[in-house]
Amino acid sequence: MSTGAAPTASAGPAEPVARVENFSLSLVRHGVRREVLHGVDLSVAPGEILGLVGESGSGKSVLALSLLGLLPDASRPEAEGRVSVTGVDMLRADERDRRPVRRTALGAVFQDPMTSLNPTMRIGRQLREVTGADDTSVGLLDRVGVRDAALRLSVYPHELSGGLRQRVMAAMAVARRPRLIVADEPTTALDVTVQAQLLTLLRELRDDFGCSVLMITHDLGVADQIADRLAVLYRGDLVELGPAREVVRHPRHAYTRALLGARLSLTGERDPRFARTVTVADEPDGTGGPVGGGAGGPVGGGAGEMAGDTTGEPRPARSPAVTISGLRREFRVRRAGVITALDGVDLTVDRGAALAIVGESGSGKSTLLRIVAGLETATAGSVRIAESTSGHGAQMVFQDAGSSLTPWLSVGEMLGERLRAERLDRAASRRRVVETLALVGLDPDVVGARPAELSGGQRQRVALARATIVPPAVLLCDEPTSALDASLARSVLGLIRDIRAELGTTVLFVTHDLAVARLMGDRIAVMRAGRVVELGEAEALLADPQDPYTRQLLDAVPTIAELDERPAPLEGGTA
Amino acid sequence: MTQLQTRLTGLAGGTRPATRTLGVHPTVRFLLRRLGAAVLLLFVLSLVVFTLSTIAPGDPARAYVGANASNAAVAEARARLGLDDPFLVRYARFVGHALTGDLGRSLRTRHPVTADLAAFLPATVELVLTAFVLALVLGALFAVSGALRWPGGAVGRGVLLLLATAPPFLLAIVGVVVFFGSLGWLPAGGVGDFEDPGPFGMQALDSLLHGQADAWADAIWHLALPSVVLAVAPAVAVGRVLRASLDTVLGMDHVRTARSKGLTERRVLVGHVVRNAIGPALSMAGLQLGFMFAGVVVVEQVFSWPGIGNYLAASIPVADFPAIAGVTLVLGAVYVITNTVVDLLQALADPRVSAT
Repeated sequence: MSTGAAPTASAGPAEPVARVENFSLSLVRHGVRREVLHGVDLSVAPGEILGLVGESGSGKSVLALSLLGLLPDASRPEAEGRVSVTGVDMLRADERDRRPVRRTALGAVFQDPMTSLNPTMRIGRQLREVTGADDTSVGLLDRVGVRDAALRLSVYPHELSGGLRQRVMAAMAVARRPRLIVADEPTTALDVTVQAQLLTLLRELRDDFGCSVLMITHDLGVADQIADRLAVLYRGDLVELGPAREVVRHPRHAYTRALLGARLSLTGERDPRFARTVTVADEPDGTGGPVGGGAGGPVGGGAGEMAGDTTGEPRPARSPAVTISGLRREFRVRRAGVITALDGVDLTVDRGAALAIVGESGSGKSTLLRIVAGLETATAGSVRIAESTSGHGAQMVFQDAGSSLTPWLSVGEMLGERLRAERLDRAASRRRVVETLALVGLDPDVVGARPAELSGGQRQRVALARATIVPPAVLLCDEPTSALDASLARSVLGLIRDIRAELGTTVLFVTHDLAVARLMGDRIAVMRAGRVVELGEAEALLADPQDPYTRQLLDAVPTIAELDERPAPLEGGTA
Repeated sequence: MTQLQTRLTGLAGGTRPATRTLGVHPTVRFLLRRLGAAVLLLFVLSLVVFTLSTIAPGDPARAYVGANASNAAVAEARARLGLDDPFLVRYARFVGHALTGDLGRSLRTRHPVTADLAAFLPATVELVLTAFVLALVLGALFAVSGALRWPGGAVGRGVLLLLATAPPFLLAIVGVVVFFGSLGWLPAGGVGDFEDPGPFGMQALDSLLHGQADAWADAIWHLALPSVVLAVAPAVAVGRVLRASLDTVLGMDHVRTARSKGLTERRVLVGHVVRNAIGPALSMAGLQLGFMFAGVVVVEQVFSWPGIGNYLAASIPVADFPAIAGVTLVLGAVYVITNTVVDLLQALADPRVSAT
């Protein structure tokens, strides 16, 4: 375990900036004291970028807060060992000694740029708290790539995009030329293209300011791109530590290998369950399809790839399950006038097919889904959902399963609620609930549980069960896995695939992740600024993108060079 | 008004072209909308008050001329008071007069209601505002001592909570029994033994302006018990809301950011916590100020406080409609104005309020 004790991978003779020695920590959460870190040994050398990877709950954020000396009092931390930054004990030293370390030697960039800046204070004042003068702030904002820096000083955080806010955070973090920047998942909430820019920025700042960076991430691709050394945390244990290239390419610990295996990439072989073809046998062509096939017109924004379905060979036209034509949605915003979220979208999805809609935040992909779900109304255009024997209507699975489940209802009540229209008796209803739970891979025991008692993955499974207990004609998924760890995400994605096979449901899957889109969609539609810029069969589109924007998106995906280029099984060879 | 607008605009809206668009500045528009709503509310209030008076039992004409007057005298009084005119005419006359400061003549005191209000309102305002400031201070202590876990704070909070659970009249009576009856520390009632030197009709304020130390001390001595009685419930209401939002804001990401900058805890609190936490407490304070103007009726009676509460209490049994309407309008206006001011303060505290 304590692999880090031996200074095998130490970068030179210089004194480390931060040192974590035999550090164990227990915290009280929900009234229960649990040890979250067990004897971690780690040090950050000057000028080094140390990657720290692990799934949620592995203790990586707690380690970051320990380095900053900001463990929340409310969770009554009890620590053993030592955590020191520039020689100051950040666990036990007096607050009067720790604060100056934060002030001069540390900088921090946190995960969520939407909440990490004070919403009621102008950017300029928030910067001035660390720079001392507006001129310095402007220089810094210029440096981190914020255009019109002088003008930005007077705006509030809500007037900036997520990427800009994270740049402001980075500017604040480097303002006092710290020895160490603690970056806790700084790119997780950002679009891929913005993520790529921010990673470049962090590396440049390291080079310019000569500071070290502790880069916490759950994405091995990100870690591989930016880190010199890589530490892997698993349930509070430091299981692996070494040069990043080495750890990523020749993982020694089983957990690191599992982490790599769970990683979704653009080129890795599709998992057999994902490759399984979906058959819609019970659906004779054209049955009960009230929608004229010609309604869609030319589909997509002119990108010519109209390959009918998963295979390129011509087949008799299937009846569309969803027909979206000329869809427009405008929002009137007081200051900005009219914002066009959807600018004439035409799409058709065949019965039983799956379409993945990819785009960055603000591209209109979620608005599109919400209109199909009937949660929002279109300004113009139409959406038609054909009734079918496999189900009717549209059901939606949301990104944040935690907040999309009613907190005071049990799982059984939430699922039973949807059966009310069918007027089943108690036993029959109960049977349906249990069957559906089995379909999403949940134990019947969870019937009585409330959302708070479930894990993130379980919640998303409940959300899926709720959406499919009365089979919908169309299942709408709005980034259902983006809040989940890689391995969990993978299993939930597989589950959606299984449900689709089982029920013959048509799926519209919105995601910002091209690798997820590749797994989930027979076809992929790329959206930008309210338009579909490219539409095509999944593999073909990714192999040979036509639109420059699609190419830009593809280039921004963090890849692990040797691994992702080889279409070999991920776990091969190295063990 | 205009000056206030300019100031608010400067504070909340920003001065950069980036935040400006065509036409009226959003903050000004927000202000105008709130003020428009306030005026509208006052009109609705006046209509309600007036309608109630017309359907309420009791004949104001008879009340005016006295129970023993002849029917002819009552009819003559009705005509003279304009009570026979159609509803809308009477309402229009009522509003027209009210706008020029004429709220009619009290049937009981035979003075113009405006003059009565001018005589009784200052004492009430002095009592309520003193109690309000006290409530804010106590509420802030309640919240901050809890959120920052001050040692010993729990005891103070417990006492305050206990006091706030008692109804004000009981608290007032017990207060008089204990502090006047048993201990003899505080007076039983009244505003003080000194002549008010003017100009506001508020003992404490006026004596302070005239530099009369003993008169001021006497006024404060008389204010102490009624204002505490009036303050405890609002203090707990405001304190609880503020405590909850302080707790929430202290756990927010941006506070962690502020701490990671190495700011002192005081600067974190003042710069990053208070302003984000103050919104709900402001709403609650506005609401409570309104309630206090209503609740003051009971407290004034117990302490023989010469304010509009006592005036109202005397007017209701004799169906003195002009007096009741006058007091109601004034209290309603105070309520509406308070809440409008609170809205504006919130817009100042949080730039997102006026932006949406």
